Amino acid sequence: MKRALIVLMAAGAVALLVRFAPDAVSLAAGQAGQRGAPNAAPTPAATAPPEPAPRMADGKPDLSGVWWNGGDVGSRGLRGGGARGARGAPAPPSFTSLYNAAALEKAKTLNDSHDPTLRCIPTAFGTLNVSLYSVGAVGQIISTPKFVVMLQETYHGYQLIPTDGRKHREDIPPAFRGDSVGRWEGDTFVVDTTNFTDDTWMFAEGRVSFHSDALHIVERYRRVDKNTLEIEATVEDPKVLTGPWTVPKQTLVLAPFDQIMALNCSTESDSVMQGAFKSIAK
Amino acid sequence: MKRSVYAVLLCGMLLAGVGVPAWAHHSFAAAYDMTKPVTVEGVIDQVRLTNPHSWFVVDVKDSGGKVTQWKFEAGTPSGMLRNGFKPNVIKHGTEVTISGFHAKDPTLNVGMLRELTTKADGKKYGMFGPQEGPGAQ
Repeated sequence: MKRALIVLMAAGAVALLVRFAPDAVSLAAGQAGQRGAPNAAPTPAATAPPEPAPRMADGKPDLSGVWWNGGDVGSRGLRGGGARGARGAPAPPSFTSLYNAAALEKAKTLNDSHDPTLRCIPTAFGTLNVSLYSVGAVGQIISTPKFVVMLQETYHGYQLIPTDGRKHREDIPPAFRGDSVGRWEGDTFVVDTTNFTDDTWMFAEGRVSFHSDALHIVERYRRVDKNTLEIEATVEDPKVLTGPWTVPKQTLVLAPFDQIMALNCSTESDSVMQGAFKSIAK
Repeated sequence: MKRSVYAVLLCGMLLAGVGVPAWAHHSFAAAYDMTKPVTVEGVIDQVRLTNPHSWFVVDVKDSGGKVTQWKFEAGTPSGMLRNGFKPNVIKHGTEVTISGFHAKDPTLNVGMLRELTTKADGKKYGMFGPQEGPGAQ
């Protein structure tokens, strides 16, 4: 009996090692490497000072590039991006922890099977759809003199962000990603987004996180060097939240390629998938 | 003693194989039963690099010669390609072993791909390819 117990305990240890060793290696390697370099191992080049952020003709930082968390979905190099925080650290205050009483009651009636992304409805939030608050691994920014264009690979979405000082449009219908306008505060690009539909959730992966049509997101992008993009955000939704949610800072790095692909979503195009998915709540 | 070592390794491998990979996103957990592993050996009929997820269609022959077609869902084409998956390497006629998890609907010959091994060279592919492209750093 005692021997069997030892065998079982050892088996558990082996299982844990097999499951988590790659993550541990990746985490340690990421900490050892220079921020901004998705490769794990430090190299002589990686210890050199980072190159400065490129600039547009008007002198503003050029945010253009393909940005990610340091690796692709399912890859060994995928980093936390700052949103999840260090392992073992307490979870940051989240959007849903600020739900008011009515929202808390509504949340009790929902579960992961109601996740709109299972029906290919994108999330309302998730910088470039890269952050761990959303799904996806890669997004692209194209800066022009008049617009900053943010392209999301996952869900094949986009945001056109005018930078000429115009106000929000008042004559357009609400949208999954709302309506955005941008402005520069020094070297920080501030994006103000309103006019969201209320049929999306903030996050994917089954996390109950509905919002209202009063959702208002202000994001602040700062390209601190050639390879590093920091994003901070504040989220308000007075219909469902007791106060504003300050989003933990996320740090993305420049990907080693300059063009995203298409990753649209469909549950209707494949009869096999429809069959496999018939357990999903409608 | 030797038997115990084998028992440890076997139990460990079994335990390690259970559970959703951390990066396998929610739709997989909704569609597949992670307590029902499945492994098939067969011949690839087609590989579909379709959005949002890719599919490996494989013909499996039983001892009596009857062929049953299985379909395994894998990762996003963009992620697979950036992780080093090369189209046309695994193609119609390629002999493979695929392990994964069965669809929650037990009437379907459908699974979520966890690992694919090519018989000719023993090369292993995960849900998102062989982990050797620019995305796999």
